[in-house]
Amino acid sequence: MDRDSLQHAVAELRPTLLRIARLQLRNDAWAEDAVSETLLSALEGADRFGGMSQLKTWVIGILKHKIIDQFRRCGREVSIEAAAEAAQVETFDELFKQDGHRLHEPLDWGDPEAAYSRVQFFDILQICVEQLPAALGRVFMMREWLEWETDRICKEADITSTNCFVMLHRARMRLRECLETRWFAKQSAA
Amino acid sequence: MMIRWLKITCRQAQALLSLRQDRGIGPLQALKLRLHLTVCDWCSRVARQFRFLSEAIRRIGS
Repeated sequence: MDRDSLQHAVAELRPTLLRIARLQLRNDAWAEDAVSETLLSALEGADRFGGMSQLKTWVIGILKHKIIDQFRRCGREVSIEAAAEAAQVETFDELFKQDGHRLHEPLDWGDPEAAYSRVQFFDILQICVEQLPAALGRVFMMREWLEWETDRICKEADITSTNCFVMLHRARMRLRECLETRWFAKQSAA
Repeated sequence: MMIRWLKITCRQAQALLSLRQDRGIGPLQALKLRLHLTVCDWCSRVARQFRFLSEAIRRIGS
């Protein structure tokens, strides 16, 4: 690919990159920085890039590194917000009876591939992640999108491992509810 | 007697599902969870949904 068409193709990825960066960083200015650095670095490294088909994967790989750099620079704010979130207590009383049994039957979500094949599903998924409190969303995305081990998350967010597990569980429970209400309940009703 | 001691609630089972995904759980907790899942269809569903959720997040942007 010549330089011009690569430049064009990379620039076209900007909105996608920005949305992902916002989801992980939960701060618009940080996300802008990470994406700008990603685009620069992608164009500088264009010689090392092989073919068009893998462009997006390659650029998202760069974005992950830039996001991690951004977390390093803003570690203090990340840890302050994580500590505040960790101090929240959530009992999920709206989901469970006093004796610990579930109040409502979870829906059958059916074949995962059917959801993965829908662009709108990923829109709803991202909306649900955006609705999590910032610190919760960050930690959850570190675990599931950056695929970090919890030890590393504890270190980066400066929280205890107990707090980390509690926060991941809280995020997962909320996302489950959100996806069920906003996607799966509507699919089975349709 | 033994069964009673191994019994956990849905609330506890779902917390163990998360722990299993994030850290791994010990043999006793794993046994309690497995027993619960064999009798509780609702939590088995949630177990599948938690795995579904991980996979879905991993596919964002791809």
